[in-house]
Amino acid sequence: MIPKTPLRAAALLAALLAGVSGASADATLDRIKAKAKFTVGVILSGAPFGSIDPKTQEQKGFNIDLARALAEKLGVALETVTVTPPNRVQFLQQGKVDALLANMQVTEDRAKIMDYPPTVFDRAGGAAIGRKDSGIKDWTDLKGKPVCVSQGSNFTQPLIEQYGAVVKGLPSQPESLLALKGGTCVIAVHTGATLGLMLEDRADEWKDYGILIPTEIVPADSVVWIRKGEKDTSAALDKALRELIASGKLLEIAKANRLTNTAFIEEQQKRLAAGK
Amino acid sequence: MQDAVRGFIALAAQIGLNFDFLTSPFEVRMWLDGMATTLVLVALTIPLSLAGGVVLAAALTSDRPWLAGPARAYVELTRNTPTLVQLMFTVLVVNMLISQALGGAQNNPLGAYFWLVAVVSLHVAALHAEALRGGIEAVPSTTIEAAKGLGFSRLEVLRAVELPLALRTALPAIVNNLVNLVKLTTIGYAVAVNEITYASLMIWTQRDNVVELMIVLLVFFSAINLAVARIGALVERRLALPGFGQ
Repeated sequence: MIPKTPLRAAALLAALLAGVSGASADATLDRIKAKAKFTVGVILSGAPFGSIDPKTQEQKGFNIDLARALAEKLGVALETVTVTPPNRVQFLQQGKVDALLANMQVTEDRAKIMDYPPTVFDRAGGAAIGRKDSGIKDWTDLKGKPVCVSQGSNFTQPLIEQYGAVVKGLPSQPESLLALKGGTCVIAVHTGATLGLMLEDRADEWKDYGILIPTEIVPADSVVWIRKGEKDTSAALDKALRELIASGKLLEIAKANRLTNTAFIEEQQKRLAAGK
Repeated sequence: MQDAVRGFIALAAQIGLNFDFLTSPFEVRMWLDGMATTLVLVALTIPLSLAGGVVLAAALTSDRPWLAGPARAYVELTRNTPTLVQLMFTVLVVNMLISQALGGAQNNPLGAYFWLVAVVSLHVAALHAEALRGGIEAVPSTTIEAAKGLGFSRLEVLRAVELPLALRTALPAIVNNLVNLVKLTTIGYAVAVNEITYASLMIWTQRDNVVELMIVLLVFFSAINLAVARIGALVERRLALPGFGQ
């Protein structure tokens, strides 16, 4: 079938290109279906979001359960890949994972290089833990005081720029809390849900400490991150997320993993169940 | 200056590198502070490690067991355990105990920076000491006997005969240790000392521009170590003794 005129040749070429780009517009969704597997990058930095069960050596937590529920909705099996803050975006962009459920809230910079289905599944902010006798009651009390965070925490910049704190980023939450106990800093700021659970589970060890400031710092939306421009994957995941929230399945997952504050998820559920 | 930075960002963007963070004064300050801190750390730890190495080598080669024994024990302990672990142990545990003994962290003047300098210099001092010991033991016994015959005391023999000769033999190994020391300062990231790796880590975990900052890190450390190695080679040439196998 050789085109007889240049015009027809051009039309054929255009059609071919459209076909090719149409198929590759969202290679990820096609790939997920083809291999019948949804590969998700998860972070295992601690309960309740992601951790390893010391008894069974299995991964557990909110991130894992949500990833599994999403895979079920897509009708495929789940495969998890453990990621860390320095490598997670590379893993996504190199195609080692199809999506990220790695405790990454929406920020302007991230939205420049990645996409996410618009449905938000949780909201996370930073809570301040410190000695009850430290006299700190408000974020503004942190001016000039050393504050420990995990390296890569979203709270670093607002703590420095808005509240003038001297931020010390330790490799991860356990080191940061040890530094708090050692007096390297007067306050440690971590995700509210993880601190709440720790104070509850290890009440004896932390009896002199508490969440000192009633509000959370920079509460931001938790979303599923995907590669830029993958509209079909985004639509499929968004549909799955809306169904999970509206049906109450997400709230169930949150409660099973002992997220201490589920007000945001409950609100989302009401809104989506009412069809808004 | 601002235009130059913008031009660089645009140029880098064309080859797919994201240097947007250079427009954020907060991140640029942290990053430049990081570079300065690394240079200061190197400038502090090199002389400290060398001084520690000489003292330890003298103790190691001493014929007094109460001096040689503890020095040997220290060398074995420090070179056989990971420096990162030593640092985290001193900052997170030893420093906490010191704080408690002083009645609270506010009375404890020692912080992560002090421990980083101490751990890195003392760790490398142990490596220098072993290199120097090799040099000291390579000094012919006839030379030492001759010095003693001239009425030199044990300390004078060490200072005027053994160490100058040992230094020449040990120099390549010592320069090697110093190159290692420069790289070792990066463990400061684990205790939140704002050296260049820590600063880069804090930026790339926000902006996910790992590759870009990694390139700068590699160039930065290569440049420092190239300088250290060149200076080492220069000193070796200057100290070379004609007829002493060099």
